[in-house]
Amino acid sequence: MSARSFGSLFMVASCAGAALGCYLVSLRVASERAAVENVENRIVLAKRDMRMLQTEIGTRGRLSQLERWNAGAFSLSAPAAQQFLEGSFELAKLSQPQKQVDFKAPVVLASAPAPESKAPLGEPVQDEAAAPALPPSAMLREASLKTETREVPARAVADQPRSTAMKSADRPVTAAKPAPVKSADMPGLAAAKSRVAQVRSEHPAATVPPQKKSVDKPSLAATRTMTKRVELAKTDPLAPLPDKHVGKTKDSPTGR
Amino acid sequence: MNAPQPALVAHRPERLRLVGQRRQMLAVMHQRLMFGMLVYAGLVALIALRLIYLAAFGDHAGRKEGLTALVPERGDILDRDGEPLARTIDAWSIAVHPNKVIGDKLALAEKLAELMPERSAENYFAILRSDKTFVYLRRRAPPDLVEAVNAIGEPGLALDREPDRLYPQTTLAAHVLGFTGIDGHGGAGAERAFDNYLSDPSKRGTPLVLSISSKVQQALEAELGEAMQHFSAIGAAGVIMDVHTGEILAMTSLPTFNPNAPGQAAPEQMFNRATLGVFELGSTFKPFTLAMAMDSGVVSGPGQIMNCPQVLPAYGHIVHDTHPFGRQCSIAEVMMESSNIGMAQIADRLGTERQKAWLKKMGFLDRVEIELKEKGRPLTPGSRWGPFETMTIGFGQGIAVAPLQLAMGYATLFDGGIYHPPTILKIGPDHPLPQGRRVFTADTSYRMRSLLRLVVMKGTGKKADAPGYRIGGKTGTAQKIINGRYSQSINLTSFAGVFPMDDPRYVIVVMLDEPKATPETYGFTTAGWNVAPVVSRTVSRIAPMLGVAPAMNREPNMSEVLPFIHDAKQDSKKD
Repeated sequence: MSARSFGSLFMVASCAGAALGCYLVSLRVASERAAVENVENRIVLAKRDMRMLQTEIGTRGRLSQLERWNAGAFSLSAPAAQQFLEGSFELAKLSQPQKQVDFKAPVVLASAPAPESKAPLGEPVQDEAAAPALPPSAMLREASLKTETREVPARAVADQPRSTAMKSADRPVTAAKPAPVKSADMPGLAAAKSRVAQVRSEHPAATVPPQKKSVDKPSLAATRTMTKRVELAKTDPLAPLPDKHVGKTKDSPTGR
Repeated sequence: MNAPQPALVAHRPERLRLVGQRRQMLAVMHQRLMFGMLVYAGLVALIALRLIYLAAFGDHAGRKEGLTALVPERGDILDRDGEPLARTIDAWSIAVHPNKVIGDKLALAEKLAELMPERSAENYFAILRSDKTFVYLRRRAPPDLVEAVNAIGEPGLALDREPDRLYPQTTLAAHVLGFTGIDGHGGAGAERAFDNYLSDPSKRGTPLVLSISSKVQQALEAELGEAMQHFSAIGAAGVIMDVHTGEILAMTSLPTFNPNAPGQAAPEQMFNRATLGVFELGSTFKPFTLAMAMDSGVVSGPGQIMNCPQVLPAYGHIVHDTHPFGRQCSIAEVMMESSNIGMAQIADRLGTERQKAWLKKMGFLDRVEIELKEKGRPLTPGSRWGPFETMTIGFGQGIAVAPLQLAMGYATLFDGGIYHPPTILKIGPDHPLPQGRRVFTADTSYRMRSLLRLVVMKGTGKKADAPGYRIGGKTGTAQKIINGRYSQSINLTSFAGVFPMDDPRYVIVVMLDEPKATPETYGFTTAGWNVAPVVSRTVSRIAPMLGVAPAMNREPNMSEVLPFIHDAKQDSKKD
């Protein structure tokens, strides 16, 4: 029983082993490839789902829909030309230091006698305590430039003296704020602040004081009448030569 | 006599013959065996080789074919920023095989009418009783409806998925995109113009990128739509173009339609006013006349003085102005006040032949060069093109072009005088900028800047100004021909603007068809009152998106024109 007699057997076994090894390697490669393909398939499926979802969200949030929401609810507008800044210096220039009033500091009154009111007879004397009281609207800091929304009712054209009232009609919230008339008994900003707080606590839902009606009703009435009456100007106000005679064309085309 | 004759030759011995035969047979058998074995071995080898090949390179059993590519049925259309404008999705369709219905047909018809109320129960019952094999009940059905129909449980109802074209932005840029019919082929717009590209299996994997910017398009459509509603106009059109490349960033025609449901649109909505419609656009033509005259040497520049009478009798007609000067005036004033009398004289000096040659060179006598198939042919006086027609064309009456052509003309004038054909495809590596063609000289192009800025600063287009964006442009109020005569009250107003004027980059053309007067326009229906504010609002919205930085202290070189303006206010102060 020498090893030589098993030589051919060894040969066959090693050959079979090598073949098996090769086959195993190939099998391994094939299974790896299958796994990669599987992942690729899942990627494609995920991409398809993403595409579907993107299409859906794009359709739901289409630009015309956003525009409608913006007009109805958000009333955001494009930034105005003044809101663009060149650099950090311009930005720094915008924030000037604000004068802070320390409410806890002891009130120091000047001992000098107050000068007599020099207002001539017949003119109302200005209330000195009310003068420094800023209107509450001055304390509100708005984040961006406020531009008028498109949704406001038609504006009166000819009613020039009422222009400020019209503006307040555009923004009913600010119009609803009470004028600081009774703040004379409380000094300074604190008065204004507490007044606002008081009003808010008294009318949590409706912050519209009765003044609003007296301010807004005539203006609304004015707009209503204005939309019916069409005012025609004699000449085109855009023209810089309004004094000249306006020629009426009859027989030839006129472009302007 | 008949006895067999003995053989003359001796016979071979029998045994020897047998041995020879056996040997031969054995050889044949060996041969056959060998052949069979070879065939068998070959077959085994073939199978073995195939197995080895499959083991090494073959596919496995679980492979899913066709999923690796994700090629849509029809190519996507994207805007220039990659936002999808048209996509193909899998939609549900609901159909019925009337002959396969096994349940109660009357009850089924009632249920269907309840779920899909576009037809009555009688209608459904008639369909179910007909001898048709297949009837579509609803295409592009929403998933909840499909679920409800499936819940009926009738085997005769067929629920299928089919590719369907979806326009996610609905009406946005509808006339540029067009629509697809039920057969999946384009019926208008880019869908029609690029139908081969979009349906080609080898190309449809890469989307078609348009030059349209959906945000700019939305801004233009919203502002124009609002103006159209406000002034009760019957139609409107708008184009925004890149001056340097001819790319169309936005193009709209109102009233518009929803390409998702093209069947519901009226012909009026389908009509593309921006490219297919041709209109006499009026005074917006005047800058071209002046540029032609300056390039031909007929006019020296904005400072040239000419006679501007109250009315101008010419060739048996009378030319009028809305605000006649009645004095000597400069070219700059003619432009600023949009004087027909002044412009008619300039056109007269230019002459018919030169005017024709210039218009031909600018592309105003042919259909506009654009990929879309909906292109209108410009209308010209043709054989009646005499000296008076030359005058009227000088101020924009008597020639009808598409609004896109007007935008193209302005782009040519302010791109240093170089013409690029307008395109709706994004200029990029796939679609390089074609070689331009010089029409006007660079000097003329430069001098027109301050003239058009003057119109917006001091002239008829004041309401078009957007602070900081240096808009220059020209208003145009053309009278419409009603029953063969120019109407005095029915107008077509337009504004052609360019911004920023110190370095022109974009052209905007807007047009309103038959706007009506409102209280705030004081009864006027001229362009300065209705379309100019649209330009101002649109530019304020889009300029930051387009990278035009606002600058309050930049202007074109106004010293070229301002010295030639007669200032009435200063005169009255001196008096």
